[in-house]
Amino acid sequence: MAENILVIGGGPAGLNAATMLSELGVKVTLAERDSFLGGNPKKFKYKFLFPDMQPADDVIGKLIKKAETNSNIKVYLSSEVSDFKENGKKFDATIKSPDGNETKTFDSVIVATGFEHFDPARDAKYSYQLFDDVIDIKDLERMMGEGNFVRPSNGQPPKNVAFILCVGSRDRHVGNQYCSRVCCTVSVKQAIELREHFPDCEVYIFYMDIRTYGFFEDLYWKAMEEYDVQIVKGRVAEITSGENNTVICKGEDTLLRGPFEIPFDMVVLASGMEGGPQSSEMAKKLGLELDEHGFLKPQNVTLAPFKSNKEGVFLAGACTGPKAISDSITEGGAAAMDAYIYAVKNH
Amino acid sequence: MEYDENGVSIVPFELKKEIFEEARRDFRYEEYVRGCLNCGVCAGGCPPHRFFDFSPRIVLQKMKSKDPELIWTMMDEYVWACFQCFTCAMICPFLNSPGGVIAILREIAVRRGFESAKKVLKPYSRVLLKLTAYGNQLSPDMIQPDFFPDWGPHIGYASTDLAVKRKAIPMPTLQVTNLAWDVAPEAMKELYDIFDEAGVFKIIESVDPSLYEIIQDIVDDVRSS
Repeated sequence: MAENILVIGGGPAGLNAATMLSELGVKVTLAERDSFLGGNPKKFKYKFLFPDMQPADDVIGKLIKKAETNSNIKVYLSSEVSDFKENGKKFDATIKSPDGNETKTFDSVIVATGFEHFDPARDAKYSYQLFDDVIDIKDLERMMGEGNFVRPSNGQPPKNVAFILCVGSRDRHVGNQYCSRVCCTVSVKQAIELREHFPDCEVYIFYMDIRTYGFFEDLYWKAMEEYDVQIVKGRVAEITSGENNTVICKGEDTLLRGPFEIPFDMVVLASGMEGGPQSSEMAKKLGLELDEHGFLKPQNVTLAPFKSNKEGVFLAGACTGPKAISDSITEGGAAAMDAYIYAVKNH
Repeated sequence: MEYDENGVSIVPFELKKEIFEEARRDFRYEEYVRGCLNCGVCAGGCPPHRFFDFSPRIVLQKMKSKDPELIWTMMDEYVWACFQCFTCAMICPFLNSPGGVIAILREIAVRRGFESAKKVLKPYSRVLLKLTAYGNQLSPDMIQPDFFPDWGPHIGYASTDLAVKRKAIPMPTLQVTNLAWDVAPEAMKELYDIFDEAGVFKIIESVDPSLYEIIQDIVDDVRSS
């Protein structure tokens, strides 16, 4: 009889884990809390993925199709793990879905519950939700996905746009000391997209450090050299309303101008990633360890990044920390291998 | 240029914008100004940065900004602090050339006859006169304490008894103090053609009108000889 493995979370990591396991002949149960597969990229309608601007729908769509068409994968949508118990080296889990409760025994478990976008309203200095023209990168990504690039306040194309990096990241006030890793690259990518769409629109990026790591640096250089994006070092301290329906960014250009107050048509906050309530919920339900940042904690961050503190329960994707989609897909595959080895050994 | 009651020059924004656009339009701009990480390696290697309020990083950043005011702040004394050694261009990870930007801005200052350009170029009016009159760049009689004060503390002694000192040089010279070598009139005429074509005479006219008049007389003489 084939092994049974439970994958919790149907985002990039969970989908890839499920698909790979199914191709090994494993019977996979994929539990997803939303009514659709695809995770945050689907939920927030990401348009193009860095670094090569692949349409997000193509990437995520392929993963979803593989998972949906494979007879070894049983997908439970709008579901949750309502009960979880160890059973020797195995696990008894109850999946609660609109079709009722179903309890099965699993040889191993992969947790791929992902992240939540930081809610910029929690940091009052950015006036998010106070001014219509202050949005964040996920809002802009969705707007772009819908072909709707205009200012939310009046439907007009913006004449100038500011990106503010590290919103909800690297800030003890909001409780997040860590760097969210992808927001720099997402912002630079969106700045390029804005300049392409509105060649007359000036785009500024206010940054502390630009962390377009690895080959993502190419996008950053391109933004500067080919798209004339203005890169200004300094954190914006306050956003207020200005004349002619503008929003004013106030801060210090620490390298060139000194104090500044610049009116913008639109401000885009590069809000970071958080473990979200699902991380602590999983920790509680499955007996996993939570780290000081609010993400699930790997057993050994270097040697066993996909193992949890609990034997037989594995971790993949952004549930262990901020991650790019490509990293999450990679981790889904890696965790699948770990989970498969454990299942085969104890089957 | 106009000044307010405190002696501060009043410069219309339109002029600042014109200069900004003139610099951005320069055919070398794309080559000199690329991306910038504000790493400061250019300033670290810059000789004047050690001694003056001058930083090639600031030069490049201001040039990259879209703010004409920022460019304007460099047009007075700032651009003249650069040694034009181009260490910055050699060292920059982006292959930017802050020194090249300075060259562009200096040329604008000279073309437009800015006060700072006139002041800095004053000692060189003698060089230009010598060059146009004799085809020589420097000759012994130009060594005078009033000019080239940066030639060191012994300039006073060096400028006395030039004819005797000249004769003491143990190699063949023209034995005169107003020339270093002879230049044929044909070569002079060619030089004037080049100056005409390159706009050098125009620049001299804007920076030093009285020098221009003297030079024009000499040029006419040589050309009609």
